[in-house]
Amino acid sequence: MNAARAELRKLLTLPSLRRTVLLTWGATGLLAYGYASAAARGQAVTDDAALAPLLYTQAGFLVLGALAAASEYQGGGQIRATLLAMPRRLPLQAARMLTLAGVALPAAAVTAAISALVAGEPARIPAATAYLTLTTLLGSAVAVLARRAVPAVLSLFLLHFVAGPLLRSRFPGVAALLPDTAALDPSTGLPATIAWVAAAVAAATAAFHHRDA
Amino acid sequence: MTQVRAEIRKLLGLPTAWAGLILGTLLSPIIVAINAPAVRRMIADGALLGDVADLGLQNLGIGLIGPIILGVVVVSSEYTSTGDDAPRARQLTATLTAMPHRMRLLAAKTAALVTVVFVQATIAAAATLGLTHALLGDLVPAWHPGRIAAAVLYWVLLALFSYSITLIARNGIVPLTLQIINSTVVSVSYLLTKLTDLANYLPDIVGPQMFLSGSQLEVHIHPVVAGLTMSAWVAALLAIGAYLFQRRDA
Repeated sequence: MNAARAELRKLLTLPSLRRTVLLTWGATGLLAYGYASAAARGQAVTDDAALAPLLYTQAGFLVLGALAAASEYQGGGQIRATLLAMPRRLPLQAARMLTLAGVALPAAAVTAAISALVAGEPARIPAATAYLTLTTLLGSAVAVLARRAVPAVLSLFLLHFVAGPLLRSRFPGVAALLPDTAALDPSTGLPATIAWVAAAVAAATAAFHHRDA
Repeated sequence: MTQVRAEIRKLLGLPTAWAGLILGTLLSPIIVAINAPAVRRMIADGALLGDVADLGLQNLGIGLIGPIILGVVVVSSEYTSTGDDAPRARQLTATLTAMPHRMRLLAAKTAALVTVVFVQATIAAAATLGLTHALLGDLVPAWHPGRIAAAVLYWVLLALFSYSITLIARNGIVPLTLQIINSTVVSVSYLLTKLTDLANYLPDIVGPQMFLSGSQLEVHIHPVVAGLTMSAWVAALLAIGAYLFQRRDA
């Protein structure tokens, strides 16, 4: 319990996380407004205005998870102080994932609510919230593996914004296997997202358990 | 000259820069090869969206991720901390010790980036267009040399664009997020063109009009005007970035 409380305080006091969440909310609001007014002018750009802004602003949650995990490895190596206080690595990793999910969930719920309410489809909020929270955990797991924010963010973006759309348009069959399909289509994509997150978190935990800090 | 050579060597020593070089050079030719059979069928059926003359040049778009990454890491690498033993030390401290004149340093950095991206763009354009010609043959008309030159110029300008945003932000995540998202999924700028015609002058909408016919857009901008607008964006941001780099503590 102490471990979780300590990790929570560390997360809440990181200015970069606050900024990321605020920018994500702002961007979601602007995009939702943009889609709504394009549709009002009869020039709708998308079929699914409730989730379309999230296709972009899920990037904020990838960054959120990556920054939260990579902050331990920045200059100064806070991770060594953390491990001095909590030497058992598996409980520490569990506490970090739980608190990150706890912080990401309200941020995701607000983002999903902005997007879905502007489009007038509140029923879409729960699935989108779950997807964005899982996406945060994916970002954090990849950053634990990479131990640096920029390479982690870059590889996640390449997966979500380059490889994903390309593979889906070329081979529609693989859509159900990609982690980002659920952003627009939760009913087919959510199992794949859960599997990707579970695999990434397992790999990150194993690496964290065995590697030198 | 020594300074430009030093900056090129620093850039080519970064693993992330090589990710940009390899992705940027190979992605477009790979897409051409993968799409060729479908495109050939679409031309035969007359179902192709857009202008046949844009084929090939249009596929260069996905490779733009390369110059974006290069423009970001050439600056952001200077601002990441060098190691755990000296958490506040950044490469920029060492760079400025060797080259204290900031404007000369910035000129060398810019020249290094332009050189690397120009070579990359030339190779990528040659590979992409050569492959398009080899696979589709007579189905596509030959490209005007001016349009190919404009496409290479657009790569260089886009690299300078992300370079100057990174100079202003002094951190790699913000420009990477903005640019990768805006250049890969349906662009946010494209959404804005539905709201106001002014959005047609945003860099990533106006830039491609230098070499594409832009048949999906409602507002057509002459290639020369497009090139001037794009250059004006880059010049303005570069001026802000250079001013801040000159005035701020390193």
